[in-house]
Amino acid sequence: MHDWLVQPFTIPYMQRALVEVLLLGALAGAVGVFVVLRRLAFVGDALTHTVFPGVVIAHLLGQSLLLGALAFGVLTALLLTGLGTHRRVGDDAALAILLTSFFSLGVVLISRTRSFTADLTVFLFGRVLAIDQTDLLQTLAVAAVVVIALVALRKELVLRAFDPEGAAAMGYRTGALDLALNLLIALVVVAAVEAVGTVLVIALIVVPAAAARLLADRVATMTTLACLLGAAGGWLGLATSYRVSVDHGIRLAAGATIVVVLVGLFLLAAAAAPLRRRLLPAGSR
Amino acid sequence: MSQLSLLDALGDEFARRAMLEAVMVGGLCGAVGVHVLLRRLPFFTMALGHATFPGVVLAALLGVSLFLGAALFGAVVVVVVALLGARERVDDTSAVGVTLSGAFALGVLLLSAQAGFSRDLSAYLVGSIITVQTSDLVTTAVVGMVVLGVLAALHKELVLGAFDRAGLAALGYPVLALDVALLLLVEATVVTSIPAVGTILAVALIVAPAATARLWTERLRDTMTLSAVLGAGSGLVGLAISLQWRVAAGATIVLVAAALFAISLVVAPRHGLIARHRATAALGPSSAPGGTYLPDESRDHSGRLAPAAMAWALCQWRVAKIRSLMASIGPTALMRTRIPRRW
Repeated sequence: MHDWLVQPFTIPYMQRALVEVLLLGALAGAVGVFVVLRRLAFVGDALTHTVFPGVVIAHLLGQSLLLGALAFGVLTALLLTGLGTHRRVGDDAALAILLTSFFSLGVVLISRTRSFTADLTVFLFGRVLAIDQTDLLQTLAVAAVVVIALVALRKELVLRAFDPEGAAAMGYRTGALDLALNLLIALVVVAAVEAVGTVLVIALIVVPAAAARLLADRVATMTTLACLLGAAGGWLGLATSYRVSVDHGIRLAAGATIVVVLVGLFLLAAAAAPLRRRLLPAGSR
Repeated sequence: MSQLSLLDALGDEFARRAMLEAVMVGGLCGAVGVHVLLRRLPFFTMALGHATFPGVVLAALLGVSLFLGAALFGAVVVVVVALLGARERVDDTSAVGVTLSGAFALGVLLLSAQAGFSRDLSAYLVGSIITVQTSDLVTTAVVGMVVLGVLAALHKELVLGAFDRAGLAALGYPVLALDVALLLLVEATVVTSIPAVGTILAVALIVAPAATARLWTERLRDTMTLSAVLGAGSGLVGLAISLQWRVAAGATIVLVAAALFAISLVVAPRHGLIARHRATAALGPSSAPGGTYLPDESRDHSGRLAPAAMAWALCQWRVAKIRSLMASIGPTALMRTRIPRRW
C-alpha cells in the first residue's frame, strides 16, 4: 500500500505532478458541482474544446499557453452565455457547431506545423509529468481566483441552479451569473489544460461531481465530496500510472489513467447509493 | 499548373477517392442530422463520436475491421447512457458526460500502452480523408444506402416520434424500438464518417448542415434535401481548400460547414438575424419578444402544444433570446451587477 500510494512521490517530478492533480481535482470538483446541478456538461465539454485553438495559437506565436487558453476561454464563455442560457431547439446544435468549429480551427492551424501529430497529442492529452514550478504557481493563482469567486457567489449560484425564476424575480442578473459560472469553468479548463489536456478536463469537472451527487443530499456535502473524490482520483490515477509503467513496463498515459480511476469511483458511488439509502432512514438524510 | 490544386489532383487516384468519400459522407451526415436536431441529440452524437474511440483502438490492435470495433462500442455506449440516465440522481446530460469522458480516456489508455502512440491517434481523432481506401468507399456507400433507405422507409414514424411521442404510442407504434432504430442509424453514420473527419469532428458534419438547412426551409423534406446537399457541398469545398493550402482536410470540411451556418444565421430570409430584426422593428417595440411568450403562442385551441406551432415559436424565440442576451451581457450591463466588484 505504502509502495503503491506514497513511494512514487519521493521523486521530484512526481511530487509536482501530485500537487498539480490534487489542486486541479479539488478545484474541478468544486466547479463541477454547479455544472452537474445546472446540467451544463455539454457547455463544459464545449469550453474544453474551444480553448484548444487558443493553445495552438499561443504555441505558434511562442507565447504562454495559459494566456492563449485564457483568451479563448473568456471569448467562448461570452459566446456560450448568449447561446446556452436557455437550452431549447437549436441551442445545443449551436453549441455543437461552435465547439467543433473552434476545435477545427485549432486542428487546421496546427496541421501547418511540421510536428503536427506530436503537438496535437500533447495539447489534447497534456503532460502532467512535465509540470514545473511556474505551472504550479499558475494553477495555484487560478485556483485562488476560482475559490474566492465561488465562495462569494455561492448563494446566488445555488439559487440560480434550483430556482431560476425566483432568482430573476429577486433582481439577480441571471445572465451575469451564467457568465460568471461559464468564466469559472473556463478558468478551470485553462488551469488544467497543460496537465491533462483539453479533452480530458471535462472528466475532472463532471465525473467527481456526478459521483458526489449520488451520495450527497446537501450542496455543501456534495461540494466537499466532489473535491475529495477529484483529489483522490488524481492521486490514485497518478500512482497507478506510475506503478504499472515502472513495474510492468506498460506505459499508461497519466491523464487518461486519472480519468479511468475517476469513472471507477463514480461506478462505486453508483453501486453504493442504493445501499446508503437503505441504511439511512429518510429523516436523517 | 492551374490555380486550383483540386483540378490538378483530379488525375490522382487518391484525390478522386477522397472527393467521392467527402461527398458521400457529407450527404449522409446531412440527411441524418435533421433527425438529430429534431430529437435534440447533438450532445449524444458528440458522445457517440468520442465513445467509439476505444472501439477503434481495440479493433486496430486486434486487426479486425475498425467499423466493427467502433460500432460495437457505440452500441455499448447507447446502453450505458440509457442505464445511467435512468437512475434517479443522474440526469441525462451528466450520464452522457461521464460516459463520454470515461470511454475516451479508455481509448487513450489503450493507445498509450502501445508504441507509435501519436501517429495513429491523430488519424482517428481528426480524420485522414486523403488516405481512404476503396474498401472505405464501399463501406460508406453501403452504410449510406442502408441508412438513407431506413430513414426514407420510417420517415413518417420518426418525424411523428420527434414531435409527439404520446401520439405515436397511441397509434400503436413501438416507440422504444423506433428510438433505438434512430440511435443506431446515428451511430452508423458517426462510425462511417470517422475515416473522413475523425471521431471528434463527426458531430459537426451531422449538426451544422442540418442547422443551416433549417434556417432556409419550412418543410421537413426540403430541410433534409438541402441539408444533404449542404453536407456534400461542405465536404467538396473543404477538401478543395485543404488541398489548395495543405491544411488538415477533416477540420477544413468542418470549418466550411460551420461558416455556412454562421452566414445563414445572419442572412437567411425568414429566420436569419437580419430578417428577424426587421420583422421585430416593423411590429414596433411593444411586440419585442421576451422569454416567456412561448406557451401562449404555441397552444392550439384544445390547450395542447401544437408541435408545428411550437417548433416555429421556438425558432423565433431562440434568435430573439440570443440577441437580447447578447445585449444584456454587454460591458455596461456587467458593471451594474455585483460580480465584477467581487473579482
